[in-house]
Amino acid sequence: MVAPVRQETAEKDRPSPLVETRSLTKRYGPRITAVRELDLRVERGEVYGFLGPNGAGKTTTLRMLLGLIRPTSGSAAVIGEKPGSPAGLEKIGALVESPAFYPYLSGRDNLRVMARYSGASRSRIGEVLEQVELSGRAKDKFKKYSLGMKQRLGVAAALLKDPELLILDEPTNGLDPKGMADMRGLIRRLGKGERTVLLSSHLLGEVEQICDRIGVISKGSLVAEGAIAELRGREGIMVRATPVEEAAQIAEKLAGVEEVTVNDGALRLTADPERAAEINAKLVSAGLRVSELRPAEQSLEELFLELTDGETV
Amino acid sequence: MLASFRAELLKIRKRPATWVLALVWFVLLVLFGYVFTYTFAANPPDPPKDQPAAVQQQQEAINKQLLDSLLPENMLKTLFANGTFNLGAAIVLILGAMAAGSEYGWTTLKTSLTQRPGRFGFLSGKALAVGVFIVLFVLLGLAAGAASSYDVAYLEDATVKWPPLEEMARAVGVGVLTFGAWGFLGFALAMLFRGTALAIGLGLAWALAVENTIALLPIDSDWWKGFRRLTLGENTASLGSIFGDPNPSFGIPAPLVEPERAAITLGIYVAAFVALSLFLLLRRDVT
Ligand SMILES: Nc1ncnc2c1ncn2[C@@H]1O[C@H](COP(=O)(O)OP(=O)(O)O)[C@@H](O)[C@H]1O
Ligand SMILES: [Mg+2]
Repeated sequence: MVAPVRQETAEKDRPSPLVETRSLTKRYGPRITAVRELDLRVERGEVYGFLGPNGAGKTTTLRMLLGLIRPTSGSAAVIGEKPGSPAGLEKIGALVESPAFYPYLSGRDNLRVMARYSGASRSRIGEVLEQVELSGRAKDKFKKYSLGMKQRLGVAAALLKDPELLILDEPTNGLDPKGMADMRGLIRRLGKGERTVLLSSHLLGEVEQICDRIGVISKGSLVAEGAIAELRGREGIMVRATPVEEAAQIAEKLAGVEEVTVNDGALRLTADPERAAEINAKLVSAGLRVSELRPAEQSLEELFLELTDGETV
Repeated sequence: MLASFRAELLKIRKRPATWVLALVWFVLLVLFGYVFTYTFAANPPDPPKDQPAAVQQQQEAINKQLLDSLLPENMLKTLFANGTFNLGAAIVLILGAMAAGSEYGWTTLKTSLTQRPGRFGFLSGKALAVGVFIVLFVLLGLAAGAASSYDVAYLEDATVKWPPLEEMARAVGVGVLTFGAWGFLGFALAMLFRGTALAIGLGLAWALAVENTIALLPIDSDWWKGFRRLTLGENTASLGSIFGDPNPSFGIPAPLVEPERAAITLGIYVAAFVALSLFLLLRRDVT
């Protein structure tokens, strides 16, 4: 009778995630399922990378988190609020897909409009322009801006409320290498401290550089989630031994081996490669013939390709 | 809603197209309401010498009547009963369609909505701001009419006598109902089609072609009349007629609807167009 009570307190003590979705699903018509049964958790203070190839469902998910589109089924809570409710949006800054502003207004006037919508104070406008290094061009019309400047204005608008949660949807899309580097530097700075950042990207390198934790989405489903180190750290040992079934059974019982998978007649053990010699000895002494044994580190790239069925990332 | 209202005011005020429309409205009113008529009335063609004196007198009487209608005391008749304000209907239809449709064209809906306002607040604030500009366009029309009629009085050495204040107030009301119905028709069409182009195209086709055709079709049945009583043009014409009979040489048919009913009908149209827009925005995904 004691155990369940303890479990309950543990549940309560754990800080609630800033973003949490449960079986979030969006279908367009009978054939397209853009997002499928998605369970996403973004913890307070982290920079979360939402990684997936084009068309995987990133934007659709983010739009659901912002209340722009309604899920077909499932639910989401953002900062404890229903998506799209003014109480939640008050604490969220977002840039969804390409930055969209009123073309005939200057950058500053666009921010004035947005500040009126959000209730942000006028003094914030100068500050955020400074933050994205757009002060010098604030008087120019939005339609005269380069793509990089438009993206930065989008980030500036997202920052007006000094938000707890910053949602950025592929903010480096279409930028030249210098623009990309600048934007990544900016996001890294913005993610320091208390602020939580949810960054979507189709570029593995980008989220590797910027994010603490990533979730990988492919064809609408979350296929992996974890800290970068955790995902990358799935190092192990590759073993070819016969008979393979017996080898697998023995390997599973060895101390320090977490997981055994059989692939193409070879075993992949999730274990510290340092222990290769020891494992070899154990297998041989059990009467198995070991023909190959080497450390096998899976790169994030390989993992990613595997998770997304080789779609280009 | 107030936040959204203030944001929208800034957007409309700073939009060059708004002021282009205002200018076009001003020019249309001055030209079609006054300049053309005045030029014609002040420079009548020389009557043929061999006409009998009675015909010549009749011609002069018509000219006199035309000139009189351009004087300040008849300003509201010229602006409303003679249908000058209907020219503005097309302009405010475009104004309303642009305010709603551009958010889709520029995909700014997502940017504005994610700032905070909530869909209800966003749209009601927007509609209110459009309403303010509709009132401004009505006032601009009245001012342009006043200025033009004053000029005619000056040119003709006539005494300047303005319509009584309460008539002016009624004119503002009639103008707002007329422009409101057309402006929010454009607004609702733009919400429906998620853009300006189709909304303006269909709206203008309806305003300029369909309604006029409906009024002219020689169908004499009760249900057809009942349908005609619901058209915007019929109702705005009825409201306009409270300021006097239209100039007979303009050939404007007598209205089918009583003015009180017309005012209520137009008011219901405004509310219905705004409600439809709200319904569409609240229901649909923003993609
Ligand atoms: N409005 C829509 N109607 C139909 N299909 C859509 C719509 N929006 C997105 N999709 C589809 O949903 C899938 C996910 O799209 P999206 O979320 O934009 O992916 P990502 O942002 O990861 O590139 C794609 O297959 C896309 O074609
Ligand atoms: Mg996308």
